[in-house]
Amino acid sequence: MTILSRRRLAVAVVSATALLATACSGGGDKEQASSNELTVMAPLFGTAPDPGGELQQAVEKLVGKKLKITWVPNAEYGDKTNVTLASDSIPDLMVVNEKGPSFVKAAEAGAFWDLTGKLDKYPNLKPADEQTAKNTTVNGKTYGIYRVRPLLRSGIVIRKDWLAKLGLQEPKTVDDLYAVAKAFTERDPDGNGKKDTYGLIIPKWPGGYASASPYDVIETWFGAPNGWGERDGKLVPGFDTPEFLTADRWLRKWVSEGLVNPDFATLDSANWNDPFVQGKGGMIIDVNVRATQLLDLFKEKNPKDFDKVTLVGNLAQANGKKYSYPFTGYNMVIAVSKQHIRTEEQLDQVLQALDKLESKEGSILLTNGIEGRNFKADGKYAVPINSDDPKVKAIQNDVDKAFIQLGTRASVGMGAYQLKPNDAASRAMREKFDVLMNEDLKTAVFNPVLGVIAPTSISKGQSLQNIIPDARIKYLSGAITEDQLKAEIKRWYDSGGTQIVKETNDLAAKVGG
Amino acid sequence: MATDLAPNQVVPPAAEVKQAPPRKPRRPLGRELLRYRWLYVMLLPGLAYFALFKYLPMYGLTIAFKDYVPFLGYSGSQWVGLEHFRELFTGPDFGRLMFNTLLLALLTIVFVFPAPIVVALMLNELRMKVLKRSVQSLIYIPHFLSWTIVASLTYLLFSVDFGVIAGWVHSLAGGPKVDYVAQAGWFRPLIVLQLLWKQTGWGTIIYLAALAGVDSQLYEAARVDGAGRWRQFWHITLPAIQPTIVVMAILTSGHLMDSGFEQIWLMTTSLNRDVADVFDTFVYYVGITQGSFSYATAVGLFKGVIGVVLIFGSNRLAKRLGQRGLF
Repeated sequence: MTILSRRRLAVAVVSATALLATACSGGGDKEQASSNELTVMAPLFGTAPDPGGELQQAVEKLVGKKLKITWVPNAEYGDKTNVTLASDSIPDLMVVNEKGPSFVKAAEAGAFWDLTGKLDKYPNLKPADEQTAKNTTVNGKTYGIYRVRPLLRSGIVIRKDWLAKLGLQEPKTVDDLYAVAKAFTERDPDGNGKKDTYGLIIPKWPGGYASASPYDVIETWFGAPNGWGERDGKLVPGFDTPEFLTADRWLRKWVSEGLVNPDFATLDSANWNDPFVQGKGGMIIDVNVRATQLLDLFKEKNPKDFDKVTLVGNLAQANGKKYSYPFTGYNMVIAVSKQHIRTEEQLDQVLQALDKLESKEGSILLTNGIEGRNFKADGKYAVPINSDDPKVKAIQNDVDKAFIQLGTRASVGMGAYQLKPNDAASRAMREKFDVLMNEDLKTAVFNPVLGVIAPTSISKGQSLQNIIPDARIKYLSGAITEDQLKAEIKRWYDSGGTQIVKETNDLAAKVGG
Repeated sequence: MATDLAPNQVVPPAAEVKQAPPRKPRRPLGRELLRYRWLYVMLLPGLAYFALFKYLPMYGLTIAFKDYVPFLGYSGSQWVGLEHFRELFTGPDFGRLMFNTLLLALLTIVFVFPAPIVVALMLNELRMKVLKRSVQSLIYIPHFLSWTIVASLTYLLFSVDFGVIAGWVHSLAGGPKVDYVAQAGWFRPLIVLQLLWKQTGWGTIIYLAALAGVDSQLYEAARVDGAGRWRQFWHITLPAIQPTIVVMAILTSGHLMDSGFEQIWLMTTSLNRDVADVFDTFVYYVGITQGSFSYATAVGLFKGVIGVVLIFGSNRLAKRLGQRGLF
């Protein structure tokens, strides 16, 4: 080997090593991110906003910081959260499910700020509702600022014109509901002479047990606990109660009589509206806003004759006893990561910025947009303006599909200004929301241990989580018998459920639910 | 990828012996390196690729033996030894996962593996070039569709509410409507059907190439000796593609534990999860959905070890049966 080529080789080796070294330490630079920039991760429900767009600029001007927001499509938000938590670039502010196993593990290891007792000095971050604030804690610790939602949103959407055609009343009890479903299935509500309709539409539910599925709502009507409940002085999971079995026995009858869509185990929840709008099925048990969604879809189909949807609240039992299914009052929290925000002073700065974002002014930006650009205020309503201008359209899109997700005080369903409904039917429907909510809140069954998460459900969740929801679907579809359903419940206990029940009772006694 | 291997890479033993150079005195390694230095330089990028993307990441496997918390990093997390493996082997899921994975693998070997061979042999017998070519092209097409599309098509065809084929079967056979996509009993047949539809055509390429390489003089000689179509097939065609089949079989055996994550994930419902859960979907579910990275890695590592054992095992089996192995 000549001197020259040996030198060449040396150069090559050294530069290759250097390259490798820089590649490995690539993450290091980010730690010096200027304190003037905040990285954020939040869910997205459509196309991502342009980072230089008018709305983002307005928001940045208000909070006095540059925002670098990663918008993640909502359908994959949970997966992306776990992957992000495993990476070395956790955003400063992260919209996150504070009970998710990977978040709890990360937070307990010290990846996120414990905000317990720290929020009271910020007027717009201070919890507005004590109970909701308690629900968002993780075994007594607050790891984030909760994003508010209406406290009760459950309801039944029904084809109004079908009810009228068959001469039926809106249901008040579960027996009424069965009668309506039976009539919708057997008495040809669409008048085409064929028996081609069903009563209730249920999709393949993406969540587990106690995740506001139609099943959970119905079980609550029958008196089963919402997630957890007290029986003989001890907390038990809702599915270990006779009421749970009664409710599912009742619903199983629906399935066997063809009152539910036959593909309820496989229908994609994204296509939930289709059978309703196509006139295949006549009822949906879900959040109340689905009623306005469906109304809009009927309007799109036929602007002249679209008033075909009615909304009914939670139902009483035949003996008049009524239990309603409430929601948790929030949906995920905004947590502050410790990766770049190391000191209390830095935390204070970030919380101050966030406090500005959640002020009245900020809430308007996040939930309505820029006043005078894309809407004008009219009393408590926001009226869209300039909606033909593509730039204004972009603002509206950025609000509705993205920025509204950053609101904690005002948010989805609770905008700073309400959007003014542009027809009488929609307005009447909107007004019904609050009436039904206040009525049903009187009989709401709350989950007493929302703020508690058992360590075993974090470490063994993977083996346990599907047992109950799967067994429930199998039982409803007729694939297994009631004894087999009970055996599955026993399997849940044997695979770690016994510890979860014990830990939940202990923790609830300690932190007071 | 098994299909990347062209058949002509499998050199018959005779050729190897012929090309072996006459024995020379061994030269020192340094001089060898110097003499072929440019060839070795050209090898470097390939080595770098394997080192960077295949071997370096293996360091991450250590988290299978730790209680990995991302915030604490690889080195900061606690060692837990074989805890995760103990949990896997004694846990409630292991038996079911193993059974499902192996049964799917068995079904793949019995139904999916031979299909391209049969189709290739049938195409080989076709005398009309145009027909042969067009059939070939048509059956390739499904290979280029993603599993998402295949799964959607399956739902469209077999769903109980609007499925076309489900509707035909119902109107022909009568009886209650069958929910093919949801019922546990139909899960495995549908998976095999999807695999057959999607992969058979593509798989024929390699066998057709092997068949094209058969010396036509052999057939002529056989015909002169009075061999019929069947005899020619049995004594010439089949032995000619036998090495290809063996190599493909060994490569397939390495993938036996890979049950096609996307395909199974997309076809899983609450009703069929008991038969659908395999190691691949379980790793995704535990690791990404539940965030138990260590446990998921342990499961994945176990799967990998089984894969290595299978590929060595089948290679040895092939050699014992008098075939050339892969290595």
